[in-house]
Amino acid sequence: MRIGVFICHCGSNIGGTVDCAQVAHDAQSLPEVVYAINLMYSCAEPGQAAIEEAIKEYQLTGVVVASCSPRMHEPTFRRTVERAGLNRYMFEMANIREHVSWIGKDKEANTNKANELVAMAVEKLRRNRPLHAQSFDVNKRVLVIGGGVAGIQAALDCADGNIPVVLVEREATIGGKMAKLDKTFPTVDCSACILGPKMVDVAQHPNITLHAFSEIESISGYVGNFTVTIRKKSTYVDWTKCTGCGACTEKCPNKKTPDAFNEFTGPTTAISIAFPQAIPKRAVINPDYCRQLQKGKCGVCAKICPTGAIKYEMEDEVITEEVGAIVAATGYDLMDWTVYQEYGGGRYPDVITSLQYERLLSASGPTGGHVKRPSDGREPKNVVFIQCVGSRDKSIGRPYCSGFCCMYTAKQAVLTKEHIPDAQSFVFYMDIRASGKLYDEFIRRTIEEYGTEYIRGRVSKIYPDGKGSYTVCGVDTLMGKAITVSADLVVLAVGIEGSKDASKLAEKLRISYDKYGFFMESHPKLKPVQTNTAGVFLAGVCQGTKDIPSSVSQGSAAASKVLTLFSADKLQNDPQISAVDIKRCVGCGKCVQTCPFGAIQLTEIRGQEKAQVIDTVCQGCGLCSSTCPQGAIQLAHSTDNQILAEVHALCQR
Amino acid sequence: MSTLKGKELRIVGFLCNWCSYGGADTAGVARATQPTDLRIIRVPCSGRIDPLFILRALFNGADGVLVSGCHPNDCHYSEGNFYARRRLEVLKQFLPVLGIDDRRFEYTWVSASEGQRWKEVVTTFTERIHALGPAPVLEDAQALFRVADMTLSPLHALGTGIQAPLEELKSAIKSRLPELDCVLGWQQGHDAIHSVPLFMRSPEDVDKLVWGPLNVNNLAVYLPSLKGKKTGIVVKGCDSRSVVELLQENLIKRDDVVIFSMPCEGTLDMARVMQKLGSYKTISQTDSDDKGITVTTDTGKHRFDMSLWAQGKCYGCATPGALLADVRLGTLHPVTPAPTTPPELAMLDAMSLEERRSFWKAQMDRCLRCYACRNACPMCVCRDYCVSDSRDPHWMTQDDSANEKLFFQTIHAMHLAGRCTGCGECQRACPVGIPILALRQHIARAVGTLFDGYQAGIQPKATPPLLGFEVQEKNIHEREWK
Repeated sequence: MRIGVFICHCGSNIGGTVDCAQVAHDAQSLPEVVYAINLMYSCAEPGQAAIEEAIKEYQLTGVVVASCSPRMHEPTFRRTVERAGLNRYMFEMANIREHVSWIGKDKEANTNKANELVAMAVEKLRRNRPLHAQSFDVNKRVLVIGGGVAGIQAALDCADGNIPVVLVEREATIGGKMAKLDKTFPTVDCSACILGPKMVDVAQHPNITLHAFSEIESISGYVGNFTVTIRKKSTYVDWTKCTGCGACTEKCPNKKTPDAFNEFTGPTTAISIAFPQAIPKRAVINPDYCRQLQKGKCGVCAKICPTGAIKYEMEDEVITEEVGAIVAATGYDLMDWTVYQEYGGGRYPDVITSLQYERLLSASGPTGGHVKRPSDGREPKNVVFIQCVGSRDKSIGRPYCSGFCCMYTAKQAVLTKEHIPDAQSFVFYMDIRASGKLYDEFIRRTIEEYGTEYIRGRVSKIYPDGKGSYTVCGVDTLMGKAITVSADLVVLAVGIEGSKDASKLAEKLRISYDKYGFFMESHPKLKPVQTNTAGVFLAGVCQGTKDIPSSVSQGSAAASKVLTLFSADKLQNDPQISAVDIKRCVGCGKCVQTCPFGAIQLTEIRGQEKAQVIDTVCQGCGLCSSTCPQGAIQLAHSTDNQILAEVHALCQR
Repeated sequence: MSTLKGKELRIVGFLCNWCSYGGADTAGVARATQPTDLRIIRVPCSGRIDPLFILRALFNGADGVLVSGCHPNDCHYSEGNFYARRRLEVLKQFLPVLGIDDRRFEYTWVSASEGQRWKEVVTTFTERIHALGPAPVLEDAQALFRVADMTLSPLHALGTGIQAPLEELKSAIKSRLPELDCVLGWQQGHDAIHSVPLFMRSPEDVDKLVWGPLNVNNLAVYLPSLKGKKTGIVVKGCDSRSVVELLQENLIKRDDVVIFSMPCEGTLDMARVMQKLGSYKTISQTDSDDKGITVTTDTGKHRFDMSLWAQGKCYGCATPGALLADVRLGTLHPVTPAPTTPPELAMLDAMSLEERRSFWKAQMDRCLRCYACRNACPMCVCRDYCVSDSRDPHWMTQDDSANEKLFFQTIHAMHLAGRCTGCGECQRACPVGIPILALRQHIARAVGTLFDGYQAGIQPKATPPLLGFEVQEKNIHEREWK
């Protein structure tokens, strides 16, 4: 083998704390290395060109690049060596940036460590063999999980691209959080008016199959060929018969059912339709409050229903869908703000969340768009908004900014003034973050045209003043003094976290998530909608905080990734998969038993049972290799010999 | 590669590509300053990590080894880390019997988003290894010779089996012989104090069959190579566990095997017996009674009471009869199982880590690398591809050092983790009498403790614990990193 080693300075990123020239010099004495050099930026065009030229000039048969993480640029350099005529798998990387130069300041130690990582990579490369991908069929259907605005956008774009879409929504209607909003910033246009038509498009699109009131039960398979089971939760209403006329909701005797869509700002009926523009516009019975289901006595809705759609005996149904790609767009939920005892911890009825306030502002909300205090129905005059409730607060373990609260708080202050012209709004804020298009202008208008009083500081306590209002104690840090404001209504801009049970879905999707329930993208900048599981993409707030324009953009971005994936008739497998040495295999089937993908089967070869890998099903985890005591099944490019060679390169007595 | 003198120790990390390697990248991106000692080997999944890689690193002089994978439930491959968790925990419990401080090996879970946690893990582990200092070298250990105390009390009365129904066994075998290719039993060896395996293919062969405490060989060792042939086998209770384990692992087929069970009253510890007999030329007479054997040689009369001269395993034996049999002969007296610690294991338990290193140094210096231990093991099925002979994969070298020889024993023991039935053939076959069974017993005890008292070779349908997992492991708990 003729190995070339390229040590990247990455400008000063590596060169600052690693003596790259020394590492290149030392690499020359490694076995089978015929050429070693340091480059300023190996991933840039001149760097890649230098690698290609060196491959030709020195007849290199394998290449090691010591630079950043292989999770970053391994595909880049594989293409580079391929352009120069090598097999793309005759390449190894040493991570001397993320694992060396960026975490240590001692140049001697870093240089020594870089040397060793290069030696390890060379030893591994010496045992690499050219690998060739195989093609397999791709099922050109996509599953979109979550019918909020991001999921709707992804579904519509895929469907318009002629891809059949299966859209699964947990709630009875699509629309997500955006459907609950009254108006949107910074244009203050009606949320339902801009989202409604898109929701109707979903319902009418011939390429979209919508499963509302459904949840993902399990996901198996791999890119191009996922099998998904979906639990269609019982609605107790036959949706094929229900016309959404609403007669049942008018007659239902239990009118004190908690209304989740309205964020519990008012009651609904036990059989209900979430809101007038709901898609699908179908009724759902809440079994916990239905008198027929609880006590076996009532049946009013069944009597009144003109189409006979009520089915009290309905049970959950589990269906199976086969798809080739998955878009997760599960959105967010508000964090549990009741940890803030200084804001009453949930004890005061007129201290509400921003999402509850949206429902009070909304014409389709419980008050018909008239702002009324939950406690006594009185119209508030002084409204206090508190920002960063559960955002940027390390003391409760929420260090991050929820992104859109500054803007919607301003919008709500504006709407307050529009609904109640003699009202006065106060906003307690930490910093105003208004970086989007026309955002800062909107904040200025809120202050200057709508007279909203912005107070830079935190609130230390809220308590009832005994006269039906609340006293809000805070500090004005610009004036440097304590301040108290009398409030009729307090609106908390509650921070967000990943949607409830997002972690369970992530586990089914085999993607990573952080401790706040947000899904982990492949790369924070360069692969924001991809995940580390091929064929699984992200859209919207499930990946991290976002406003509506960003969520819509990401929905489209995820759709474009799906369309790109499906642009080929066949997909290529990663050839770094397992293979059986039938001479060694004793046919015990331990690998068959442990393989998580069912990618190994026992077959009879010359009268003896032997294991056999199904190439396109194998995902390359290597569990079989470590299970087989005989070493009869080896994972290409992660063979026992290669890992041992790396161990030997590091540890030799 | 040498470490930076005075600055660094040799710490090897095995990280899964998807979570922990990403977590280490995230730490780098956040410029989270960490100690520089750790060198990371990237593997696709923690499930890819054969515990032997970790042992190879430790035997090659690593001062510490750190494994990190995706959090349970988060595995990119769904289940890899669940299997890894069991294997790595067994390894961690195994290390001390070798004289290796188990604090030198740790495994944990770090996700791709947990850069800060990765920094804490690396820092804590590196500090721990620096506190422990450089790993001691086996070759430098002072040789320590020690012999286990064999004054033991058996769970059931040991005897010579002279009342056993040998003739009935012979006629039973003869009646089944036409349908079988071969029946495995024992015959007298080169003199009256030895018996050797007998392969019965004709009624005349069956007449050579003997029964008694000299029938030490576990004949199950021949079954995997006879896979596909109809074979009969005469078993003692302990041998039957090997047969069951072979069935559990699909290494033999139930339909191919006819099991003849004889009630075992114990077998002699031939190493001690031969030591007592010394260098004799001829044996003029052997007399068996209920309690033992008297051997008359040209050097004199020697008495071997079974209660004093049985193999170590026989004292704790609760299965004198076969656990699975087609033909049962004789009657068995029920034995109440009781927790017992085998003598050699008890000896090692009482030693410090340093003493254990010294002990193994002394014992391994005596090892001839004849691999009789491997040949006698019924669960060894690699045959021509055993790591002892094959340099592909390059697990072992030809190096004639105690380190390398002990490494072979650890490979054998780890290959037997959750599989070893404790038949003790490895130790019995050892021509220099190294108590290597203790290593296997130690792992078997750890497996039993971790997995609800699991014992290999009891239930033909049971899944060996290292071929399965529980999402919530009852007895494996993640260690704190603070």
